[in-house]
Amino acid sequence: MTRRLVLIAALLLLLAAALAWWLERRALQPDPLTPTLTGEVEYCLTCHADLPQISASHPVETFGCVLCHGGERLALDADLAHSSLRGGDNPSDLAVVEASCGGGDCHGGDPAAQRDHIQRVMTSIQVNYTGAVTSLRFTFGAQPDLTPVLGTFASVDASLPSQTGILSLGLFDPAAETHPMLQAFGQNCLTCHINAQPAEGEAYQRYTGCAACHTPAALEDVPLGEGEDGRNPGGVHRLTTAIPYTQCNTCHNRGNYDLRSMTFVERQDEAVTRLEDYYQPIAQFTLCEYTLDCVDCHTRVEAMGDGDIHAVKSDIQYVRCSTCHGTPDELPLSMTLGDADDLAIHLAFLNPVVDLQVGDTILVTSEGEPLWNTRLLPDGGYELVGKATRQVFRFEPVMGSACTQEGSDQSSAYCHTCHAVKR
Amino acid sequence: MPDLSRRDFLKLTTRLLLGASGLIGLGMFARFLGHPLETPAPVEVDLGQVDDFPPGSRTPLPQVPALLVRTEAGFTALSLRCTHLGCTLDAQDEGFACPCHGSLFDEEGRVLRGPAAQALVRLPVTISESGRVILTLEP
Repeated sequence: MTRRLVLIAALLLLLAAALAWWLERRALQPDPLTPTLTGEVEYCLTCHADLPQISASHPVETFGCVLCHGGERLALDADLAHSSLRGGDNPSDLAVVEASCGGGDCHGGDPAAQRDHIQRVMTSIQVNYTGAVTSLRFTFGAQPDLTPVLGTFASVDASLPSQTGILSLGLFDPAAETHPMLQAFGQNCLTCHINAQPAEGEAYQRYTGCAACHTPAALEDVPLGEGEDGRNPGGVHRLTTAIPYTQCNTCHNRGNYDLRSMTFVERQDEAVTRLEDYYQPIAQFTLCEYTLDCVDCHTRVEAMGDGDIHAVKSDIQYVRCSTCHGTPDELPLSMTLGDADDLAIHLAFLNPVVDLQVGDTILVTSEGEPLWNTRLLPDGGYELVGKATRQVFRFEPVMGSACTQEGSDQSSAYCHTCHAVKR
Repeated sequence: MPDLSRRDFLKLTTRLLLGASGLIGLGMFARFLGHPLETPAPVEVDLGQVDDFPPGSRTPLPQVPALLVRTEAGFTALSLRCTHLGCTLDAQDEGFACPCHGSLFDEEGRVLRGPAAQALVRLPVTISESGRVILTLEP
């Protein structure tokens, strides 16, 4: 009896060995990669070798996949490998961004080393939307004054000393509001700040977090809305600072808020040309406002914040017509690059649409930010190269022209009086 | 061929099966114990005979990556990993450039432009008793 059991056990062992051999023959052979930054082997490329490199600044040989995405680096089973991904298909979502984009102190480090991107974004008005939240809560009696206390993203200003004096914001919770208009505002009007899930519809589709801006879906050939979650199938593996206006338009220029019903009213015109698409029909704009992309004029500090919490958009949006064109009495502010380590040269390297050199003169904003895609020409004119299109535009200063503007008035309506494009 | 009784045949078959399964079992166990989860990175790289690198030569070593330089004074090696984040540098006419974030280094590895803040790492080179050039990857 014992001998028979031993024989059966031996047969079972042989069968198990044969099965293990057969399964191993069918199993994926790992494609190992040991990224420089982590020094730990990962097998992600076994299945993902076909993914395009996300950007020239993030080569997979240096960063690998796990540093940004998380996941089980030695797993060859898809479910197991993806079981601990950060942020699903989007590791830049603000809920996980400090562990992903901020890992290795890359984008979450010292402001002096230009590594404080996450802190700036976390406190930016594009994320917390505190201007609208504060204004409406004051209007409907939920707070006694216009001092910002709540936003759509709770944040703390760690970049002390604060220039604005606003040290933190709590989370705006529509369900905790008693006024029905504030509840309606929370329900209908909070889809357009960076970490909010976008509204339904192809025109609104974008990711959250950093990818909301830096992963422009419109650059991809794959049609939107075909993925499981309504986005591109498999996600878009791309990061860029060459952001086209279409990406900005997933939030901006999509419609208007009806303050009587506190709803968002989608624009109804069917834009065919860029001129029609850029601004909704009611808006006025100048030639450069629709031929350029938003990022050609608006700077990274305007878009991503400066580390301080600001009460309203106008506090942090400072590029005016005069920034590039000057006034009848003054040329636009400019600076001559005197150092290879100048910020302008670093920014131009990341999106090489211009070949900036030490000695070039570029325009700067009133806050001293370089408009690195502009250049003073020998004849006194200026040129601007489109960051997304690489188109070259020549423009002239107001000084010495026939323009009779009052230079101190840089309001949109004032400049549009003469320079608005007719549609 | 000697006559084999039915009993002896079954005994032999049983022993063969037991022996084979035991050996296979031991083999699987040994393989399990010996399975390397991660291949350890080499600490030293044998680059070849000294005569393979004539005086005055500058030999790129893309597998490291590094640049092996032989002068009259001997061998030196410069790591071609950027000291900013570790990207592999591209050789230029007069130095090295980082394709990731734009750092520039001169031929001696000194920083010409950031964001890298530190010079390139010099890797130790030794000559073995048999006259082979050995590069140590950890400085």
